[in-house]
Amino acid sequence: MIKINNLDFAYKNTQVFRRISLEFEKGNIYGLLGENGVGKTTLLKLICGLQQPQYGEITVDGFTPSMRQPEFLQNVYFLPEEVITEDTTPEKFIQKTGVFYPRYDFDLFNKLMKELEVDLAKKFNELSHGQKKKALLACAMSLKTDYLFLDEPTNGLDIPSKALFRKVISQYCSDETTVIISTHQVKDVENLIDPIVILDRDDVLLNASFSKITEKIFFEYGPERLDNAFYTEMLPGGYINVMRNVNNEESNVNIEALFNAVMKNKEQIKNLMK
Amino acid sequence: MNNTLDFNRLVKVIKHDGASFAQNLGLALIILWSIPLVIWLFSSLTPGHDHIDPYSRISIISTLGTILLIMAPARLYKYCNDSRQGIGYAMMPASSLEKFISMVFYCVIVAPIIYLAGALAIDSVLSVLGGPYEGFAIADYFDNLSQLRDALRHKAMMGDEDCALLLNCMSPTVMIISRLLSILALSSIFMFGNMVFKKHKTGKMIGILILLFIIFMIIMVNYVANHEEQIAHWFGYMNEENAAYIITRMIGTMINASLIFSAVVSVVMLWLTYYKIKTQKY
Repeated sequence: MIKINNLDFAYKNTQVFRRISLEFEKGNIYGLLGENGVGKTTLLKLICGLQQPQYGEITVDGFTPSMRQPEFLQNVYFLPEEVITEDTTPEKFIQKTGVFYPRYDFDLFNKLMKELEVDLAKKFNELSHGQKKKALLACAMSLKTDYLFLDEPTNGLDIPSKALFRKVISQYCSDETTVIISTHQVKDVENLIDPIVILDRDDVLLNASFSKITEKIFFEYGPERLDNAFYTEMLPGGYINVMRNVNNEESNVNIEALFNAVMKNKEQIKNLMK
Repeated sequence: MNNTLDFNRLVKVIKHDGASFAQNLGLALIILWSIPLVIWLFSSLTPGHDHIDPYSRISIISTLGTILLIMAPARLYKYCNDSRQGIGYAMMPASSLEKFISMVFYCVIVAPIIYLAGALAIDSVLSVLGGPYEGFAIADYFDNLSQLRDALRHKAMMGDEDCALLLNCMSPTVMIISRLLSILALSSIFMFGNMVFKKHKTGKMIGILILLFIIFMIIMVNYVANHEEQIAHWFGYMNEENAAYIITRMIGTMINASLIFSAVVSVVMLWLTYYKIKTQKY
């Protein structure tokens, strides 16, 4: 479990987080959403120990990430947005890296490379950006770490690859694995993530599962715009209205509409979800 | 699990770092090895060429070795503090101490040994081929040292105290320690520079060393200028009888001072390098 308590973090003069607290429970695929520059990547880096909090505490299964202890590191993997370009094949790369991870599975790596349609014989720098990302995703998943952090994993992927990405994550992540996917392309991770965390500058606006969200918020698809909605958006054939679920009705979460509703009604929705 | 130092994990880190050794340092080694070859070729093609004595060749090999020591950390661990490309290094499940030991192993031990073995092998092959290279450099070097020591020992036995002192300063143990410490000091300075700077790592570190040297020289010149009388007075004690003794003592003191200086620099730089590995942010 990841516990963040009263976290303060700033880059020189830019405050990124001010006393934020949140938890990530084990075995979920979290979607970490937020506008550009709110600190999604920074939060992942703090959880991985690549940055150190200026105030507050982060623990991952009792470990302090910034100490970068081997026992902690062998259970986490961070796949950054900007991919590395080593002059080697993904196969050699994973053979070199995998030895440090106790549950590393080379057969799974080969299987994922095939499923993701990446050429095994090519070196990283001979692969396209999307192919590199898929190869590194196969590497990351074959390490079978308890925590997998993916920063904008769908950037640079074509449409079929995005579908493959969703398939691979949902199919091969064990129930014990916690995945945090940071993205601003919410459509790419629809039907994959649950719960959702929405970050704002200095603050966490939402950290809730879909069931909790639909318990409090109703997504109404209808022919007209409703005045009492938090957010309304025109869709082909009508409108989607995001509103308070006063009648305990069931609905399907539209992540993009939810995100926009939260951004427009920060305090209201934050209080509603408490 | 020991989170500070585990032998099996250390071996894994060494293997991991070693996997890219040839790729990162191979070209630099080939270039450095080829320089004596180019000199040999150039001299061979020059009509009426002079022989290049083993001592000069050893000097060339040492100078090129120094260049290797300076460039090795930045070539082998170029990206270890890069905010993007260094993430893999930081997230590698090994302790900071294990990563540090592996870095020292490759920069201070493996790279110089491979270079030296290759350079001496090339020199030996070229000596066999003839031309401007005459005699085996390494054998001649040790032969000369041995001859010098024998001469000093002989004079010392005849009652020459200065030679006895000089012999003591030039003992093989002191010379080996001095050479090893200077390699360690130089390497550790550039390992630290590699962890501190993100771009132009070697160039910036050389710049800082030049700056420090200039500052040191300014201080020394000022000191000498301000203590001219004292220094003249001190030199006044020197006469034909005691000059050799004083100079020999000075050499001994300077060797000891340089040993202490190299040791202190090495320890401080190595500790700072380890600290940077441990606390580097990405």
